[in-house]
Amino acid sequence: MTRFANPNRFLRWSGRLLPWLAAATILLFGVGLYLALIASPPDYQQGESVRIMYVHVPAAWMALFCYVAMAGAAAVGLIWRHPLADIVAKASAPIGAAFTLLALVTGALWGKPMWGTWWVWDARLTSVLVLFFLYLGYIALNSAFDDPGRGARASAILALVGLVNVPIIKFSVDWWYTLHQPASVIRAGGPAIHPSMLWPLLLMAAAFTCYYLWVLAVRVRGEIVAHKIRALRLRQAYG
Amino acid sequence: MKRKHKRLTFVAVGLGLLGLAAALFVSAIGDSVAFFHSPSDLANQGDLGDRRIRVGGLVEEGSIERGHGTEVRFRVTDLARSVPVVYVGILPDLFREGQGVVAQGRLRGGVFVAEEVLARHDETYMPPEVAEALKQAGTWQHMGQHMEAAGAASMPADGYQ
Amino acid sequence: MLSATLAVVRRDLRLAFRQGSDSLGAVMFFVLAVVLFPFGVGPGPDILARIAPGVIWVAALLAAMLSLERLFQTDYDDGSLELLVLSPLPLSVVVVAKVAAHWLTTGLPLLLAAPVLAVLLGLPAEGFALLLAALALGTPSLSLVGAVGAALVLGARRGGVLMSLLVLPLYVPVLIFGVAAVDAAVSGMAVRPHLLLLAGFLAAALALAPWAAAAALRQAVA
Repeated sequence: MTRFANPNRFLRWSGRLLPWLAAATILLFGVGLYLALIASPPDYQQGESVRIMYVHVPAAWMALFCYVAMAGAAAVGLIWRHPLADIVAKASAPIGAAFTLLALVTGALWGKPMWGTWWVWDARLTSVLVLFFLYLGYIALNSAFDDPGRGARASAILALVGLVNVPIIKFSVDWWYTLHQPASVIRAGGPAIHPSMLWPLLLMAAAFTCYYLWVLAVRVRGEIVAHKIRALRLRQAYG
Repeated sequence: MKRKHKRLTFVAVGLGLLGLAAALFVSAIGDSVAFFHSPSDLANQGDLGDRRIRVGGLVEEGSIERGHGTEVRFRVTDLARSVPVVYVGILPDLFREGQGVVAQGRLRGGVFVAEEVLARHDETYMPPEVAEALKQAGTWQHMGQHMEAAGAASMPADGYQ
Repeated sequence: MLSATLAVVRRDLRLAFRQGSDSLGAVMFFVLAVVLFPFGVGPGPDILARIAPGVIWVAALLAAMLSLERLFQTDYDDGSLELLVLSPLPLSVVVVAKVAAHWLTTGLPLLLAAPVLAVLLGLPAEGFALLLAALALGTPSLSLVGAVGAALVLGARRGGVLMSLLVLPLYVPVLIFGVAAVDAAVSGMAVRPHLLLLAGFLAAALALAPWAAAAALRQAVA
């Protein structure tokens, strides 16, 4: 693990990985979107509107996954003072915020025809909105200090505090009897989705994951280069 | 007290508090903190006055009557009790007999006057042909047959096996 | 250890009383914010009575948040925070002591002012006891969670705005169940689950917040 975590090594091996990640993302999105939007059957209750699920559900999964990844990287950065971990955490935040926003917007677009409302203040929707604000708070706190090291440490603590929200989001639909339906895929007794719809969903989830890794690698590389430039400028200024 | 003992005490106190929090959450959830009330809840309530409340349950089979314009009358049931609902407005696509529904409004003289009707769907997804085949094979279990009489616990739905 | 803890509490209380305007500020804000509502939504008693729990809770939330700034900021500015970090008393205990003092000077006055405001808004009589019980369980959580936010923004640019962004989302559960408890009491529904959840939130905050705030303070003075 530490073998790959040196910033210079990271630049080298991620550079080789980048085209593969890009190709996998485009391929998975191509196949996944074709299956989700065209080849998969309509739902017995929801008809064609069910296709929003193929974007909404992976986006919501990634919103949680990014947060856990961000908090994990932040914890590593906080405890072992590893610079690359701080950069990974910082680079994950805007991606996760974008996934969260996508989940909220597609959820509203889905809710209007199905439930009859764009938004309700039930436990699931409220806790995901709180997740979105946690991302925004993380990003704001990270950039609020003149010393980037302090920003990284302070926002890492915030990310760890916000971790309590993750199980609340996951289990809100099981603990409270809300308007949002319970989990369909990861639940006791196996998935409640017919295989003809489950496979496109899983392909879309894989596409979203590849997209996250791709954008993350690009952002981390940019951050490392920015750090190097800053270090060079400082050396120039102070001789 | 030695430093190590002190730290152990702190960890113990912290874990104890977390355990207490978990116990409190679990017992509160056992009491059903619901987004809405079931028809049985309403029957057990005293006078609600003119408060806006939410009632949730299933649309009773064969209870939908269309009136003038967009007026609709139906009954919401939790399979133990049911309450008549009247609503004027546009219903969501998913509104149909046997489907989960949440209505917001006021109880007036035993009739629930809804201002907003929201449909609730279960976690089951399948193509219509599969649903049809399951119905014919007799292995069909609709969400209503699983809904607990109290209406407060979560609604397990095993659409297909 | 107990005497050292109490010394921190006494010090903060004394500071708050000597600069009375600071701690009265939160209560004044609370009263004024609530009194503005009858002008804003009109004096119709039925509307006011219905929104009374929510108005009182939101105003209490904002008042508690506004008063957070002085929790660590003055100590940070004059350097006494570094002494507290270096003291043999564990930092999380210092945080608990400071939060206790903060609650005694802001949360408790809010609690005392709440019944008067409830009368002004015409909250039905059934809700009074529950409003007090919910505030008594909820405001310590607000102080505890707020301490984490106050410690995180020490030394940041635009600390005040930043703190509201960090702290207000974390206040949402307290607000939801605090209002729901009073609403349930007024409409004669079960209040027990809401109070249990508020108590559970308080226990969780008491376990986690001092530890997180101490970590934040340590990196702030490092």
